Formats: sequence, structure tokens, C-alpha cells
Amino acid sequence: MMRRAQPWLGTLVEISVADQLPEALLQAAIAAAYDEVALVQRLMSFHDADSDVSRLNRAAPDETVPLHPHTAAVLALAQQIALVSDGMFDIGCAPRLVEWGYLPAPAPAVCQQASGWIDLGGIAKGYAVDLAIDALHRAGVRYACVNAGGDLRVIGREAWPVSVRDPRAPSHTATVVQLRDEALATSASYFSAKQHEGRPVCALVDGRSGQPVQGKASFSVRAPRCVLADALTKIVAASGDTSHPALAAFGATAFIL
Amino acid sequence: MRYLPLIPLAAGAVCAPVFATQYLNVEQAQKLMFPDASAFREQNVALSLPQMQQVEKLAGLPARSVNWRVFGAYKGDALLGFMVLDDVVGKFELISYAVGLNADATVRQVEVLTYRESHGGEIRTPAWRRQFVGKSAAGGGLAIGEGIANISGATLSCTHLTDGVRRIAAIAQVVLKK
Repeated sequence: MMRRAQPWLGTLVEISVADQLPEALLQAAIAAAYDEVALVQRLMSFHDADSDVSRLNRAAPDETVPLHPHTAAVLALAQQIALVSDGMFDIGCAPRLVEWGYLPAPAPAVCQQASGWIDLGGIAKGYAVDLAIDALHRAGVRYACVNAGGDLRVIGREAWPVSVRDPRAPSHTATVVQLRDEALATSASYFSAKQHEGRPVCALVDGRSGQPVQGKASFSVRAPRCVLADALTKIVAASGDTSHPALAAFGATAFIL
Repeated sequence: MRYLPLIPLAAGAVCAPVFATQYLNVEQAQKLMFPDASAFREQNVALSLPQMQQVEKLAGLPARSVNWRVFGAYKGDALLGFMVLDDVVGKFELISYAVGLNADATVRQVEVLTYRESHGGEIRTPAWRRQFVGKSAAGGGLAIGEGIANISGATLSCTHLTDGVRRIAAIAQVVLKK
């Protein structure tokens, strides 16, 4: 098994390949997969002033902004998920995340409307994982796992065991899930919870109220693609409902720990 | 009278982190970053006070350390670039990593060598960290590729690692750039 980890998308992106292929081929496949992750960071980073997301956030209300097809695809899917969840999933939560110190404020001179900022932090990691898996597959890899800080997808005929952290003791495994050709993403507040102006906040926001998700539970979603699993965890976190209709609409299932 | 066999479990016992992985050793990282290199020469750097001030200004971060472990990658006599080793401590994790730089000091590649996690607060104690820091090459008790399968959970931010890379890029600008 070849395993690598690099810092991307604000977290560690781990790629594991179990195919018995020549080392040079494996290295090339993993490099191609990281290239895709790097592309998503370049296009969708809230922090990078040159990204599509930053250009959108700077744009005037009626301005047309040319976007890379990947960014357009993520925005379209985000909109679709927002619709089926009555706004629980909302890429417009960025002003809250800036206020609570999870994201840096874009340069004030070019941001007339605070309410207009978008952030793809709740969906782009999953999209990057899918692109990386596709790149590995194109390079001839058949048995692999790509894990972007807890949002992951596996390919292969044999099952991959995945440990899910215990939300009340995150250094321990609460359960092990066997995945085969599918994705799993988990959202929880245990790493991001903090106090802001005397009240508890975290990086998980209910798009309807703009309020942080409270409680110590973790919310996991299994789906055919990681972009779906990643985004749908926010709906389960906001609704507390593992049979929310949005899950079935995208062929996903959920569990709460 | 029976005596219980007293095994000195505590003496010298390492409080093993639950989640830990060794990805690469130093030699593997060198070869991965500079596949064309024929030799790697250790050419460690000791920053002077003015150099540290320059690094801080460029990176916008404290230079943190005077001494840095650096390898030059060579093809024959030609310098291809550098690899700098470092460890960073986060809220719950200790990460050893390598930054590959071109001869002009631009960042070429970042690879994590080892990842260790602890939630018991001991990550903040120097004694706990000393067990692992700087032992990337030896593995510090883990074999290459060893570690847990895969973990799903809340996203762990790695700001301290990206800060570390920025600091090393600044050091390269100040002292390594050819």
C-alpha cells in the first residue's frame, strides 16, 4: 500500500493506493490526483484572492463573472441541494463564518455587501475527492482511498474499513464502516467549537437561521459521490434527521453518533 | 504466599497516540521530490538575527527557530533544489513534514512524513513531543505505511502546517536562493 498526505483545502488530503503496480506508475497516479485537488483549491478557495470564489465575492450584483466549469458545477449542485433542503445547506453562510473568525474577511474596499459572500467550504472538499478518485482511475488504479480531512471516497471491489471518530472522544473510534465504491463524510463541531463574544459557536451553520449547530453529536453520510456526502452532512446536522428526503433524492444514507 | 508478577508497564512506556501514520521517510521524500538527483547533501542552516528578522517580515510569522535541517539535491555538481524538514504542533496533532524547493526558492512540493495525534493534552508537553520530533527517518516506532486504515470525522484544520510551509518558503528566499 502506498500512502501519501499533503496539505490542501485547509486540511490534510491523504491518498492511499493498494494496487500492485510499478512504483513509478503509482507515483504518477498519485501526482495526477493531487493535481486535481490543487486545481480545486486554486478555483474555490475563499482565502485566495485570485480564485473563482473570490472573484465572485468581489463582483457587483449584476456583474457576470466567467467561471471554470468545475466551479460552475459545484455552484449548480449547491443550489440544487439548497432547494431540496429548504435552505439548510447554504453556501451564503460566509459572513457568519467571518464574524466568528473561521474565515478571514475579504478586503473591505472591494466588498460592498457583506451578505453577498459565498464559501464553498461545505462542498468543495468532497468535489476535490471525486476528481482525485477519477484521476486515479484514469491512471489505472482500481483500489484506492482519497480522504480530505475526514471526507473520503473509496474505489475497489474489496471493502475498505473506515474508522469513524467518537464525537465525545475524537481520538477514539466509535464505529468501523466497511465501504465499497462509495463515499463517506462526517461533520461535527468537536474540532471547531469555541466561544465567540461569550457564546458557543462552531464552523457548522444551519443555513435557515444562520445559527451554529449545537450539541456534541457527529453527522455522517454515505453517498455514491463525496461531493454529495460532504454537502448532505450539513443537512443532517441542521435537521437532526437521518431520513431527510434530500438523502434519498441523492441516493444517500446517514447516521448520527 | 504467592507473588504477583509485577511488570513495569509504566517504566519507559510510550504513551502511544491512537491515530498515527508514517507516510514517508526522509530518503523516500527526497527521491519523490527530486527523482533526477544523484546525491543529497545535508547543508543545515543557522539563521543570524538579521536573517530571522527578514524571514519574519516576509512570512508574517515568527521565525521560531535558529536551526533548520536542509538537504541540497544535486545532479552531478548541478544544484536542483532543496528539501527542508520541520515539525509542527497543532491543537491535537504533531506533524513532521518536508518542503521541496527549487533552486530559485519557489515551493515545489510538500509531503507529510509522519502524523501523530493526541487529545489528552500531552501534545503540549515537551516530553511527549520529544519521543517523536526529529525521528521521521527512523519512524519513531511506526513502520512505513503503518497506521490506521482511514478516519472519517470533523475536518481537522491544518493552519499551523500551511504557516510552517510559508515560513520555510521565506527562509529559502532569505538564505537558500541561488
